[in-house]
Amino acid sequence: MGKDAKTGKTPSKDSLRRRKTLVAYSFILPNLIGFFLFTFVPIVFSLLLSFCEWDSGNPIKFVGLENFIYMFSRDNSFWISLKNTIYYTVVTVPVTLALSLFLAILMNKPLKGRVFFRSVLFFPYVASLVAIAVVWMALFNPDRGPVNGVLMALGIANPPRWAASTTWALPTIIGLTVWKGMGYYMIVYLAALQGVSRELYEAASLDGANTWQQFKSITWPCVTPTTFYILVLLMVSTFKSYDTMYITTQGGPGEATKVLAYHIYNTAFVSSKFGYASAIAMVLLVIIITITLIQFKFEKRFTSYL
Amino acid sequence: MKKRRLAAGILAAAMVVGTLAGCGGGSSSGGSGGGDSTTAAAETTTAAAVQAEVKEATGEDVTIKVALWDYSNTEYYKTMISAFEEKYPNVKVEVVEFTADEYDNVIVTQLSGKQDFDVVFTKSTPALSALINQGHIYALDDLIASDSSFDSANYSGLVEALALDGNTYALPFRYDNNLIFYNKDLFDAAGVAYPEDGMTIQEYHELATKMTSGEGNDKVYGAHAHTWASNVGMYANREEKFNLFDVETYDNLIPYYNEFLAMQDEGVIQDYGALKSSNIHYSGVFYNQQAAMLQIGTWFINMLCENAEGENGFKWGVCSLPSNEGVGNENCIGGVTPVSIGAYAKHPAEAWQFLTFVCGEEGAKTLASCGIIPGYSSDAIKEIFDALPQTYVNAPEGLSKYVSCENNLLETPLNPKGKDADNIYTEQHSAIMTKSVTVEEGIQQFKDRVSEVLAQ
Amino acid sequence: MISSKKTTGSTVKTVLMYIALIIMACIMLIPFAWMLSASLKLEKDVFSFPIKWIPADPQWNNYKEIWNKVPLLTGFFNTTKLTLCTTVLQLVTSSFAAYAFAKLDFRGRDTIFMMYVMTISIPWQVYMVPQFKMMTLFGLTDSHLGLILMHAFTATGVFLMRQFFMGIPTELLEAARIDGLSEYGIWARLMLPLSKPAIATLCITSFTFEWNDFMGPLIYLSSSSKKTVQLMLRMFNTQYSSNYAQIMAAATVALIPVLILFVFLQRYFVEGIASSGIKG
Repeated sequence: MGKDAKTGKTPSKDSLRRRKTLVAYSFILPNLIGFFLFTFVPIVFSLLLSFCEWDSGNPIKFVGLENFIYMFSRDNSFWISLKNTIYYTVVTVPVTLALSLFLAILMNKPLKGRVFFRSVLFFPYVASLVAIAVVWMALFNPDRGPVNGVLMALGIANPPRWAASTTWALPTIIGLTVWKGMGYYMIVYLAALQGVSRELYEAASLDGANTWQQFKSITWPCVTPTTFYILVLLMVSTFKSYDTMYITTQGGPGEATKVLAYHIYNTAFVSSKFGYASAIAMVLLVIIITITLIQFKFEKRFTSYL
Repeated sequence: MKKRRLAAGILAAAMVVGTLAGCGGGSSSGGSGGGDSTTAAAETTTAAAVQAEVKEATGEDVTIKVALWDYSNTEYYKTMISAFEEKYPNVKVEVVEFTADEYDNVIVTQLSGKQDFDVVFTKSTPALSALINQGHIYALDDLIASDSSFDSANYSGLVEALALDGNTYALPFRYDNNLIFYNKDLFDAAGVAYPEDGMTIQEYHELATKMTSGEGNDKVYGAHAHTWASNVGMYANREEKFNLFDVETYDNLIPYYNEFLAMQDEGVIQDYGALKSSNIHYSGVFYNQQAAMLQIGTWFINMLCENAEGENGFKWGVCSLPSNEGVGNENCIGGVTPVSIGAYAKHPAEAWQFLTFVCGEEGAKTLASCGIIPGYSSDAIKEIFDALPQTYVNAPEGLSKYVSCENNLLETPLNPKGKDADNIYTEQHSAIMTKSVTVEEGIQQFKDRVSEVLAQ
Repeated sequence: MISSKKTTGSTVKTVLMYIALIIMACIMLIPFAWMLSASLKLEKDVFSFPIKWIPADPQWNNYKEIWNKVPLLTGFFNTTKLTLCTTVLQLVTSSFAAYAFAKLDFRGRDTIFMMYVMTISIPWQVYMVPQFKMMTLFGLTDSHLGLILMHAFTATGVFLMRQFFMGIPTELLEAARIDGLSEYGIWARLMLPLSKPAIATLCITSFTFEWNDFMGPLIYLSSSSKKTVQLMLRMFNTQYSSNYAQIMAAATVALIPVLILFVFLQRYFVEGIASSGIKG
């Protein structure tokens, strides 16, 4: 079949394309059907809810754009959590990305004890979030934590109060998120690095390229599709995350660590406003789609490079 | 609601599962064993009457579905259910258990899928309000009217408190008052007189200052205030000076906030921010004798019975909450555990039998023998509490005075916006206690935000 | 000359690298150490502060008691069943679909793919209730099948595989096509062997997710014979208190299979596995 496409031009262009499309669909269909039924349909349904009022029990009521109008004009918590989400994402994503790539490059080298190190680095990702949160918060205890102990020993009289201060609460949570997540993204990067030919590096080092130049001209372009994947996934996961805040600060102090997903959770399960929660999710979706599309463009440009 | 969720939640660090749970299992088998036999023998006369009446109505064998949490680790549920099945042989109970932390959310999801739960336990009044609003709960009024053996007077006003828009939606299973618990051994060692009923909050503060001693890891705090918003609001709440659904009353919280912030600054109580970020649970602090006094709910009686005995044990006592308005023991303040009938129940008549059983005399005795205050009150229940020191040597005499009051006040009355307001309360509390805002600013924001929610 | 300079330089670098790694490893091990130490403590000491890393009187009993308190064995069986089914289904269907998305040209490709990506960004809390209602309609609640079907066809799996497939040069495929391999043949004989690290990654991702998933089973499984390990872990929490010592004991036990799987899959992350295949 593939042979026909390449060599002889006997079948008409149309039937060839149709056949190609058919083959392609046969590939995606097994997944697509399940995905469509069990994920896509409920999601579309709940997105339609964003134009409605629904408390999960009483009949659904269409309200048009009311949810959005309320969100943009009167819901203060929405703006606060949007701001927090952007802050949280803008810091978490690049830091995690850089650290995990760095670790992956290290772990891709023929080091002694590599298996051990990899497992250990991966560990926080599989460990229970409760354990992670407890340890992190204990390290950053404002009064008696070791971190502040060190800071005070270094002569800082008033070290930050971390999770107990409105300014530092979010950075504290960002630290926790990075710590927990980077092992996983390291693995993803590692898998990508396996595909980079060693000969390329050998050739480059013969040409006298230093480590940085090798990274810039070989490693980085080769892992671009993975970077794109990680970027989208990380961004989405930071936009969606609420369990870390739920466990550590409950969005506090005040609303200092309230992020959009937490606000959505509250709106749905505390205020029983499922329609409104969907409306906020819709905004989240639009933001993410916009960024993803921009990244898509970049991806096309980068991959043509290869 | 927040309070409960947190209690159960991640911050919690309390003792052996055997505590609350354990009443009846392991060490406390004495308590529950007693409860068991009492329950089985209880009220045979009325029981027969009710049974006959219902048999006429339904007759055949049915299975009722009961949704609750903590079932597998709580002995008293098992005791009650087997006693119930013995009394009503035609009714089988099928328990559907969900985890405590996520119970509120799961029950909403399940009921929105129209699950046919006959009996639905709820964790708090705000959670119940939400379910009622969504139409997931069956109104009990007809059942109450047709059951002559049911008398709401046995519940000290709690049944009336579980009504919304003129309909009653639940019976009170448990009711918890709030008290000051103190460590008698620490007071004796310091030569300071025990705290007494009728203190003002300033006197409480002074007493706590006297009882604070030591440095670093050996420091003993005079008092301990847990991190829930109600741990400050409670006092005004008991004086009926604070109502979450009336923003005009919020100013009455200001003096209490000032007092607690001052105590925090003086190091008389542990810092809110540190407690919260280190997941420190009040129970550990008290069991390890790091605090002389603790304000907490009466469920702690049960936990202390289990944990303050033995070689590391200590004598403890209770007194009523301080009040600047001279409110004494006539007012109790706390939360209730409501039990309702699901809107999609297949057997509401049998569900009602179950409700009146677990929330009636039989169920109440089982709870009381575990040191847990039932919603139902009677002299027999009081006697059980007064007899606790016979089993638990470190428990104080005369507990009955604190477990049934003339006015059983609810921290959060039923209100459709209960969960929202409660949530804002918690957020503003954390802002004030971490000094992210001044008390006045915090209260003003609290007013603005709750007004906004109530206006919707 | 050049080579000797390089060796001294790289020795220093290697030493520095090891130091950095050891520090990193220690930081990463802290939560594990905490879990272990908490699992051996009395409940009242779990959150005592500052943290006591080595309990004075280790409570090995915690490990014994958890097996008596809840039917953990049933839980392990159920979790294993769910995890294996989901992971296998996920691996097969995702890599299949990803091949089409990465390497075949067809109408609607980008649209369908965007549809997948879009769904990743919706928090589950938003569609949890509608999804549950729908599953009730299908009669798939309180069944393992329902959970498997919901979790096996995820966008993340397809997305992950697609990104890896994209990194495999198209020239290789063209060559295979000229050699007479069908698209299915290319998928089976070329793409899969070349993407072992990716498959290992997806395997770990899917396995870890399903193994640790808590909210899904919580909402969908109500009869106790079907409950999973994670659900049982949470049963130690009660409304007024919780038993973290035993939760951590059970969590430590529950962690072992994931760690074993990880160590086992390590061998697919060997340097240069694909180097001979791709550019050579």
